[in-house]
Amino acid sequence: MARFHDLTVTDVTKTIRDAVVVTLQPEDAEAFDFTQGQYLTFRRNFDGQELRRSYSICAGRQEGRIQVGIKRVDGGAFSTWANEELQVGDRVQAMPPMGSFFTPLDPAAEKQYLGFAGGSGITPLLSIIKTTLAVEPGARFTLVYANKGVSTIMFREELEDLKNQHMGRFNVIHILETDAQEIDLFTGLVTQEKCAELFKGWIDIEHVDTAFICGPEPMMLGIAAALRAHGLTDAQIKFELFASAQPGRARARVVSENAASAANQAEIAYTLEGATQTVTAGKDMSILDIARANQMDAPFACKAGVCSTCRCRVLEGEVEMVANHALEDYEVEKGYVLSCQSYPVTDRVVVDFDQ
Amino acid sequence: MDMSIEDYLAQGGVLSNPTNVPARYRAELLKLMTSFVDSELAGAAGFADIINQGPGIAERMAAARIVQEKTAHAGRVLRVMESFGVNADRYANHHPWTARLPRDADIGAARGDHDMRLAVFNYPLDGWTDAVVMNLLMGLAVGVQMGDFQKLSYQPLAEVFRAIAPVEARHGELAEEGLVRLMGEGEGDRILTSVSYWWPRVAASFGQAGSPRFKALNAMGLRHASNEAMRAQWEAEATATLDRIGIQPG
Repeated sequence: MARFHDLTVTDVTKTIRDAVVVTLQPEDAEAFDFTQGQYLTFRRNFDGQELRRSYSICAGRQEGRIQVGIKRVDGGAFSTWANEELQVGDRVQAMPPMGSFFTPLDPAAEKQYLGFAGGSGITPLLSIIKTTLAVEPGARFTLVYANKGVSTIMFREELEDLKNQHMGRFNVIHILETDAQEIDLFTGLVTQEKCAELFKGWIDIEHVDTAFICGPEPMMLGIAAALRAHGLTDAQIKFELFASAQPGRARARVVSENAASAANQAEIAYTLEGATQTVTAGKDMSILDIARANQMDAPFACKAGVCSTCRCRVLEGEVEMVANHALEDYEVEKGYVLSCQSYPVTDRVVVDFDQ
Repeated sequence: MDMSIEDYLAQGGVLSNPTNVPARYRAELLKLMTSFVDSELAGAAGFADIINQGPGIAERMAAARIVQEKTAHAGRVLRVMESFGVNADRYANHHPWTARLPRDADIGAARGDHDMRLAVFNYPLDGWTDAVVMNLLMGLAVGVQMGDFQKLSYQPLAEVFRAIAPVEARHGELAEEGLVRLMGEGEGDRILTSVSYWWPRVAASFGQAGSPRFKALNAMGLRHASNEAMRAQWEAEATATLDRIGIQPG
């Protein structure tokens, strides 16, 4: 199972006014051997609540370093902290690289790639572009990069450098929402219609082997529709979506006003692998989390009330199961609950994981 | 410019990582994956016991290959589940995958107490011929299901299904080849008995017609064809395949 590791911040550079590129040195370099286009999931406590955020790696594989681009989102605790407070020498925690926003590379291949990035959606694409151009000498890459205006283009200079470095193999089309450009087609939003226009003369869509799209939802839908209309199959289109609204702060379960009083404490007896242990805990924690907080090796998998790995039987007392997508009615009647979704209601609860 | 994930999905949008899947979507996706993994593991485990009953080397190799590949496919989907926090090692071992109910148990489409395998995988195989028949009918059903799964809105999973679909299809072909041989060996009556045993059980695995869940799953891009459409497709394909082999079920 994926675990969090420590990384040290070795550099923080502003790319545009509200975005930073953070360079990280992992303690366990092997665990952070990434594939182009992957992302890191960070965690940090804000006011006692753990917040997790995922950011794409923007470095190429061959660069031998880990860099992520973090654009500040209005009201976003993590991105604001990264942009305003994060400093060289700080330690952060992240899970090893994850994600499948890539296709396997082959130095002998001569493929044509088409990328679409909207705003900070450039970060994984930059990693893909850098790596692909370096590993596949016969590859050609066209990037359609959408931004509000010139001042919000992340990695603008880096992209220019790449163009010069890989002369004739890499092309960028900047589409700006508000700033006028010499060519009318390059102003506005990247919609299905805009793509259709681009495919007429600017992009050789017929010879595109793989397309990558990373941007906001409406943009992804429009581009995907245009690509499909021009003959690309689902297998040829790679998506990466980091929704504009990543889930907010970990939602604490609503508890009554006197949450801290003894009335909201429960005594729970667990039977697990033949042994019984009794603990006291707040009623705002799930049966599973209480067990784990007390070093009991209670089984669980999805923690979403789905896989039923965490199932146990309530022998005494009452719990409230807030979600159940796994247990059938007859199991619930027998007293089975999903411990990851169940909270103590009575002051004493007896559960058995062995039944 | 802002669009909810629900609207995005309803319009055919694709999700690519666990960080921003809505809770309900996550639940349905995990349920779909556990059902597939449990069915593959239970199917492979049941078939493993049959390997030695294969009448010849080729048959035993085919059965062993099916066991190996179904287990591998479960592993690939478990990798996707792992990205949602599932402990894959524990998961792979937390159920007795060989457990079966009595042959004459009548559980309809209900799943068992311990896992999410399709109901059909709770029935025991009754010898080599029976196993080949089950593998043919279920293999065709999996083929129909794979057609739908490849269009899933969760791209990492759709990609796994695209990769394993041809291999799963080959399992059905191996079963068909096996049945042709068994027909030539005068097993016709036994085949017919097994077909009538497995046909309703495999048919039930497609779920109820007019399922209210379909609409919700369809809106999330997790299902595209309805239960009844998939069952009709399977019935047509299974009938045609049996006809090719020379079997006309009553």
